[in-house]
Amino acid sequence: MIRLTIDDREITVPEGTMVVDAAQELGIDVPIYCYHQALGPLGACRICLVQVEKMPKLVTACTTAVQEGMVVHTRGSAVDKGRQGVLEFLLINHPLDCPVCDKGGECFLQDYTFQYGSAAGRYDEPKIHKLKDAAINEFIIIDQERCVLCQRCVRFMGEYVGEEQLLLEGRGVETVVSTVSHQPMDSQFSGNVIDLCPVGALLSIPYRYKARPWNLERAESVCPHCPVACTTSVTSREGHVIRVEGRPIPGHDWGWLCDRGRFGYDFGYVEDRLLNAWLDGEITSAAESTRTIGSWLNDTLEQHGGDSVAFLVGGQQTMEEAYQIRRFADEVVGTSKVAVSRSVKGYLPLGLNGTFEDLDRADTIVYLGQDPYDAVPVVHLKVRDRYRDNPGLKVIGIGAYDLTRSTVPGDAFVLEPGEEAAFLAYTLAKVAASNPIIARLGEELGDFSPTFKGAKSEQEVETLGRQLLESEHLVLLWDGKDPHMESVLLALRGLREDVTAVLPTFGPANWRGFERAGIAVDYDRLEAFVEEAIQGKIHLLFSIGADLLRDYPDRERAKAALAAIDRVVSVGLFFPEQRELYHAVIPGAGWSEVDGTYTNMEGRMQVAKATVQPPGQSRPVRTYLGSWAHALKKSFVLEPEWDPFDHNAGDLIAKDALPEVQSVPKPARPAMKDGALRLVGTALVMEGGMPSEILQPRIPKYPGRISLADASRLGIGEPGGELGLRGQQGMISVMVAVDERIPQGVLVLPYGVVGSPLNQLGDGAVVEAVSLEEVSLR
Amino acid sequence: MTQTFYLLRNQAVPDIDRIEVYEANQGYQALRKALKEYEPKALVEMVKASGLRGRGGAGFPTGMKWSFLPDDGRPRYLVVNSDEAEPGTFKDRELIEKNPHLLIEGMIISSYATGAREAYIYCRGEFLFGSEQLKRAVAEAYQRGYLGENILDSGFSLDIKVYRGAGAYICGEESALLESLEGKRGNPRLKPPFPAVAGLYGMPTVVNNVETICNLPPLVENGPEWYRSMGTEKSPGLKIMSVSGHVNRPGNYEIPLATPLRALIEEYAGGVKGGRQVKAVIPGGSSVPVMTKDQLDTPLDYESILAAGSMLGSGGCIVIDDQTCMVAVSARLLKFYREESCGKCTPCREGTFWMTDVLERMEAGEGTPHDLDLIRDMADNIAGKCFCPLGDAALGVVVSAMKYFPDEFEAHVTEHTCPMGARLYDTVNH
Ligand SMILES: Cc1cc2nc3c(=O)[nH]c(=O)nc-3n(C[C@H](O)[C@H](O)[C@H](O)COP(=O)(O)O)c2cc1C
Ligand code: SF4
Ligand code: SF4
Ligand code: SF4
Ligand code: FES
Repeated sequence: MIRLTIDDREITVPEGTMVVDAAQELGIDVPIYCYHQALGPLGACRICLVQVEKMPKLVTACTTAVQEGMVVHTRGSAVDKGRQGVLEFLLINHPLDCPVCDKGGECFLQDYTFQYGSAAGRYDEPKIHKLKDAAINEFIIIDQERCVLCQRCVRFMGEYVGEEQLLLEGRGVETVVSTVSHQPMDSQFSGNVIDLCPVGALLSIPYRYKARPWNLERAESVCPHCPVACTTSVTSREGHVIRVEGRPIPGHDWGWLCDRGRFGYDFGYVEDRLLNAWLDGEITSAAESTRTIGSWLNDTLEQHGGDSVAFLVGGQQTMEEAYQIRRFADEVVGTSKVAVSRSVKGYLPLGLNGTFEDLDRADTIVYLGQDPYDAVPVVHLKVRDRYRDNPGLKVIGIGAYDLTRSTVPGDAFVLEPGEEAAFLAYTLAKVAASNPIIARLGEELGDFSPTFKGAKSEQEVETLGRQLLESEHLVLLWDGKDPHMESVLLALRGLREDVTAVLPTFGPANWRGFERAGIAVDYDRLEAFVEEAIQGKIHLLFSIGADLLRDYPDRERAKAALAAIDRVVSVGLFFPEQRELYHAVIPGAGWSEVDGTYTNMEGRMQVAKATVQPPGQSRPVRTYLGSWAHALKKSFVLEPEWDPFDHNAGDLIAKDALPEVQSVPKPARPAMKDGALRLVGTALVMEGGMPSEILQPRIPKYPGRISLADASRLGIGEPGGELGLRGQQGMISVMVAVDERIPQGVLVLPYGVVGSPLNQLGDGAVVEAVSLEEVSLR
Repeated sequence: MTQTFYLLRNQAVPDIDRIEVYEANQGYQALRKALKEYEPKALVEMVKASGLRGRGGAGFPTGMKWSFLPDDGRPRYLVVNSDEAEPGTFKDRELIEKNPHLLIEGMIISSYATGAREAYIYCRGEFLFGSEQLKRAVAEAYQRGYLGENILDSGFSLDIKVYRGAGAYICGEESALLESLEGKRGNPRLKPPFPAVAGLYGMPTVVNNVETICNLPPLVENGPEWYRSMGTEKSPGLKIMSVSGHVNRPGNYEIPLATPLRALIEEYAGGVKGGRQVKAVIPGGSSVPVMTKDQLDTPLDYESILAAGSMLGSGGCIVIDDQTCMVAVSARLLKFYREESCGKCTPCREGTFWMTDVLERMEAGEGTPHDLDLIRDMADNIAGKCFCPLGDAALGVVVSAMKYFPDEFEAHVTEHTCPMGARLYDTVNH
């Protein structure tokens, strides 16, 4: 630790701390442009000049590391003149068009000029002119004249994300920020440069000219689009959400967002948003439909009893809402049938659940089944951040295709689809056979042996096994697809003394929160509900924020279940798929329209504030629950609110005991005809979620991905093409493109692609390519 | 006047750029001697003992620089700085064009001494002929077994690669040079870490100037005492001075350090042209403050020139006669820095731009008395506040010219014209 004095106050900070951060700890603000803790020092802008005693010149606080006994002055005539000089230089070529700049009022150039600058300019020469209002992609415009060349944007993309898409072009005073080869930026992290830009040089196109800081409201929120639940700040104006920004939490989170989360905030206002209630295909008033549904509930209870009513909850609800739904089912309806609509079958015991801090400390990170880049983008950034800190980080991808990517290089084990759990058990059996549980798992696997696409020796499998046993801080990111993985993870945990943390990358986003609210989230629940529905035992279903056809792994079975229920009621923001299967659809309120708590993949609870009123006739779920209780003449008191936070565990859900290790069967390999493909589902944040017009240009044109060999065989060229697929349960067509990470014989398709439902054929299904005519005739 | 030809041997031996001629004139003998008779460490000690200082500008003791390399088993690189873009300096150019084998021999000895197995020459982009000469000479050296595996059966191996820059002065600054060599934008790096610890691709790297390395063969051949027999205690040895400007015989002159400035101008360079008088001298390349005619007896060694308020720098001696307007000189040189500022830091990028405009305006007769204060204040806002030395370098001439020739600057703004009628160039930004 180093002791120093800043502005006559003493402070002790770790060695290597920069003066600017030490000052910050004392609450002393040193102005900065180019410095950012995540990016490290650069020393370009020179605004952070301070005086250090015994040093001949002023120094930049962001590049000067603290030294024992150092005496720093962050103000004084020399410092102030230095900063004033830098500001004057920054302004000579600045267009001074603050009145028409979206950053006005929240701009560091304005703020510091106000603080240190002089009132009048001395610059009388002609200014340099550069590009203004040029789009660098669908979401962002650049004004090169306003740029202070702090390089935050360039360094964030190139050094931090590792996707070099911005650069400095030209030299000296002609230097500008530009895109590489003048091509649009297409990184899914592009929007962060808007937050990073200290001035009005990089601005959001959707937010353009929408508001000024003094006529908008900002509320703390979290992103609802994937299980990361990034912390956000939501800007609204006159009842509309008009912007989402990252919300850094000092010492805990940098506040990065992916473009899905940053720009996908318009689902409240897209054309498809439900604003009215629908009864049997006709628009009705919300009041009438609520009354009618109340009478359905009354009749069903009278005729068939509480157990004939079921509740299906989807990912959009808050924890408080989930709690109210469960109470309503329990206390008012008298049914235990509350299930969560899910796409994957796995469950992760809370005791295994790790946090993002585990990623910060990891020496080994294993991806199981899923590339986090696709499903939980900001987790990819967290892994990359760890890799930057610790280039020795071992990353291992285990799945049906190569899950690693160049931004965080790793070792890939490419297996037959669906064999991750068996492979992991097999690997552990190689290195820990003396452990009785592992020995049992090994026996159950019988003669299973993995087939690798791309060479992998038994030696490498053993090395992997030892890494899994011996790594000091192991983090596994699991896609939740194969339920048997739970047991393998438990067994692995049992073998290790050091930290073993698992982060579930699967949705629905708030499932852990539903569990905390008392709703069992395991897949068996959902399966039991579907089965009972098909058997005609369910007479009334409340589907709340759920879309069974879209989510459930077997679309035909989902259809059969819904079709067999007398009355199906949907509460949500949008029509569910095949709305003719629903008898009533009533408009719900969602994120940013209700206050509530969401739990993320760490098991961390975070509050999101409401900023706007629900549009049209849409209402929060609790309003509907209240009126249906009223229809039953039952009392259902919503107040006082339930507080999900546990006073001992803080914002993390308290851990409970770990379950037993169950058996892991030898996987069955389906027979493959020549030229057949295995369909592999993946979660992709851009697909299957809430619709967004802003994001339209970024929705992948070719969501399906195949190997080059299969593409050439099937006549798919650049940039991609359409492929007909036939499986046992039907046919779909898919837009596919080549991805070199996919092995031959595999087609990777995201869940929930509009028009190409993977669950029509089934995850892992054997499919064959057919002509498009055949598909359209189906 | 002692004119030696240890470095500029091409001036004495025609065609020494060809390997047979070089060999026939004791070429590569120093290399044989170094490999056979010296352990690498002993060579480093020899360089230390000689007192050789870097000829790229800063005059940093070369032996000491070499001994900063951490002994941690990582690969090391030698990078020779042949970017030479400092106005007034053209010594490295002559060395690589006319006597390339001297550099190559020096590089092999230096690499052997410092433990580098790979060496680079970063050649200024505009030096097309020079880089071709180097490439040809490197190929010849490979053919004769001076480069490649197991050089002269010594067990030492070395590869040399010639890399051409793309035309940026800042790429002469060693850390920007390394960035550029790595294929990145040529902007200076934050120091520390210094190249000796984390240089090319993060590995320990020695960066030395062409002339510095060319000193190695004669040094090995003649020994440190010989080297110390020239110059002063702190500035021993030989230096090439590039003389340009208003002299009768501009060119490169190899002199013992501490030769008086007057001797360089009058004896070597044949005196001021047209019988005119010296008005000012920029002794060490465009980045250093001017000296006046009263300082001509200053010996050309690092300490004496510093004491006289300037710097020996890279040895680019620009002689300015009494018919020349110092405002025009300042404006022209500042314009160079404006064009060459890499743009990374604010004061240099914007300050050189603004100051050039004001000086050009003054020279065009459109200045106001207020402009003089403005320039002084701008200089104060740049001085000591830039990321790399280029910002301060840009100020050297202007600030000293304003100090020594205040009347000339005053006259421009009061008389609204250039009293010298100078028109060094006529591109005034309007
Ligand atoms: C703006 C700038 C330009 C420079 N240009 C050159 C150059 O062209 N050649 C050179 O050898 N050194 C140049 N230098 C000095 C180098 O940074 C470095 O100090 C030198 O190459 C070290 O070699 P030496 O120790 O042999 O002098 C420059 C420095 C600065 C700040
Ligand atoms: S665009 Fe913004 S973030 Fe990028 S360099 Fe310019 S001022 Fe910095
Ligand atoms: S990573 Fe997930 S939670 Fe974070 S911004 Fe993207 S979609 Fe939202
Ligand atoms: S002083 Fe700054 S702008 Fe100028 S060359 Fe150095 S780093 Fe670049
Ligand atoms: S913040 Fe310190 S130089 Fe930019």
